[in-house]
Amino acid sequence: MKYTVTVGKQTVEVEVSGDSVRLNGEPIGATLIGIPQTPLKQLVLNGRARTFAMLRSDGGWSVQASGRAWLVTVEDERTRQLRELTGQRGGYAAGGLIRAPMPGLVVRVEVEAGQRLEEGAGVVVLEAMKMENEITTSGPGVVKAIHVEAGQAVEKGAPLIEVVQPEG
Amino acid sequence: MNRVLVANRGEIALRIIRACHEQGLDAVAVYSEADRLAPHVKAADAAVELGPSPASESYLHVERLMDAAARTGADAVHPGYGFLAEQAHFAEAVGQAGLVFIGPPPAAIRAMGEKTEARRRMAKAGVPIVPGTTEAADDAEAAVAASAEVGYPVLLKAAAGGGGKGMRVARSADEVRKGFQQAASEARSAFGDDRIYVERFVERPRHVEIQVLADRFGNTIHLGERECSVQRRHQKLIEESPSPAVDLDLRLRMGEAAVKAAQSVGYLSAGTVEFLLDPQGRFYFLEMNTRLQVEHPVTEMVYGVDIVREQLRIAAGEPMTLPGRPMRPRGHAIECRITSEDPFANFLPATGRVDYLHVPTGPGVRWDAGIETGSEIGLFYDSLLGKLIAWGENRERAIRRMRRALDELIIVGVPTSQPFHRRVMGEESFTSGEYDIGYLERVGEELLEPGISGEELQPIAVAAALAEDEARAARVPTHENGSAAGAESAWLRAARMGGLRSTGRGR
Repeated sequence: MKYTVTVGKQTVEVEVSGDSVRLNGEPIGATLIGIPQTPLKQLVLNGRARTFAMLRSDGGWSVQASGRAWLVTVEDERTRQLRELTGQRGGYAAGGLIRAPMPGLVVRVEVEAGQRLEEGAGVVVLEAMKMENEITTSGPGVVKAIHVEAGQAVEKGAPLIEVVQPEG
Repeated sequence: MNRVLVANRGEIALRIIRACHEQGLDAVAVYSEADRLAPHVKAADAAVELGPSPASESYLHVERLMDAAARTGADAVHPGYGFLAEQAHFAEAVGQAGLVFIGPPPAAIRAMGEKTEARRRMAKAGVPIVPGTTEAADDAEAAVAASAEVGYPVLLKAAAGGGGKGMRVARSADEVRKGFQQAASEARSAFGDDRIYVERFVERPRHVEIQVLADRFGNTIHLGERECSVQRRHQKLIEESPSPAVDLDLRLRMGEAAVKAAQSVGYLSAGTVEFLLDPQGRFYFLEMNTRLQVEHPVTEMVYGVDIVREQLRIAAGEPMTLPGRPMRPRGHAIECRITSEDPFANFLPATGRVDYLHVPTGPGVRWDAGIETGSEIGLFYDSLLGKLIAWGENRERAIRRMRRALDELIIVGVPTSQPFHRRVMGEESFTSGEYDIGYLERVGEELLEPGISGEELQPIAVAAALAEDEARAARVPTHENGSAAGAESAWLRAARMGGLRSTGRGR
């Protein structure tokens, strides 16, 4: 099976058939073995062993290396072609509903309904652990709805702001 | 002194319990509901539940702490850092109950706790403070006159100030006139108080602090400096000793000033005098922390001293084990604070459970932590999970060792600051030692560039593809991979996916 693997904005092709593995068409030596009773898997790639913590997550895998978790999407040819056909964007869709990543107190709402936002724009400031934390957008968009106001306490996962794709 | 109640949690509680045991003392742990299974509870000889998880009902609850001490027959209390460590009323309550407070006298805590009062005292004691006016300027012209005396550049600072509001940097008389009005009106609307002071603006300062120790036999000594300029919003992230900016002569002068500061308030036990150090080597008193510091291990590593043990000895009325003459640091030590914050999401505090933990070991590495596999990371307390400390013969070796140790560390289940530290250890202005408190502001964005490097990409992509392939092989009957059936069902699946998307949008 040939897979298109996407990490952030980068993409590589990995073909797996039985024991043979090709990376962007080049044959490589690669084996992956789960380490029992742990979330870890050991990859031996061209003779070098590395350990990753790997968990299934939405649409792919969360692969943690040196303390950093990467969201990796793995698609076979068919699903990739279909996605291209239907125009769905790869990776993690920008915008949508921004939820509270932790319980906290809303210190400020920094946007207004209808406002256009750049990727990474701050929308809400939440206070938790005595620190103010700015919640930001993961992509460009337009503010569709605001679900909280300053002074409000929110639980983890509470909807904060809804952002839709900008038109055009 | 036989039995010490440790009025704290997390890594520092464990650190103190270890020192007690090495001194032949019993240790009593206290814990909140959230910390029932915490490592410090298991390490102690006795443990008392204080109450619900919020600190106000547990670790900050003086009555319950005193009650726990009475019930377990503790005869001394170590406050650690944070919580009640710098509350003079707590030190007093401990004393009034007839127990030993392992820290400075309440009067010393109080004298250093009131920051402007402390500055005035320090000036009197001959400790250098940032030059500035002690009276508010009446108007813009008075501020100009004061600025000429203080020396440019100056900082116009609201008397009631805080959080950068009502502050202006001015480099000339004109800028003072303009800045004075702005700062005053900002201060008026923010604090209802428009009094403005003039202070010398210290450019590109480093945060350098001196460790002091004082016993009841009149010995007050210093253990050199710690460089703590890698900070984010005044939270220290990385500390090292010695500072790359401090030579022997400066160390002795700063050490002397710190000893003077401690003596002027009748200090006992361990404390830290914080200074701003400017690029010309001038230093100014900032404040004194009247407690054990988070970053004390870097000093311990280069001076070969157990600071907590010295605290225990001093509290028991014994002399310190250290010589009165200035000691020399040996080698270099660095500490990285491993916190449950996601450096790639603006250091957002994260929660979770530690599903797996692998701790670095080997020569010159120390791990002081309050977590183990299974620990729940909540939001009740601060985000420090542990401290990774590396020692080397010199700074370069210490940095290499820290890199190696960070590469060994695995924490699964909660995002941590680990990858931030790994990047700093390879960043040029850090490795060259040419940095100041503006470090993170200057390099942060580039350092935390969210993209994946080419080097990392391939193994991660291959691992994910192999895992996916294995998962599919385990659940999908092989004939579904056939191309004929695939082509047929593709359109059906496309329709299904489309339907899912339109209903899924509002999620």
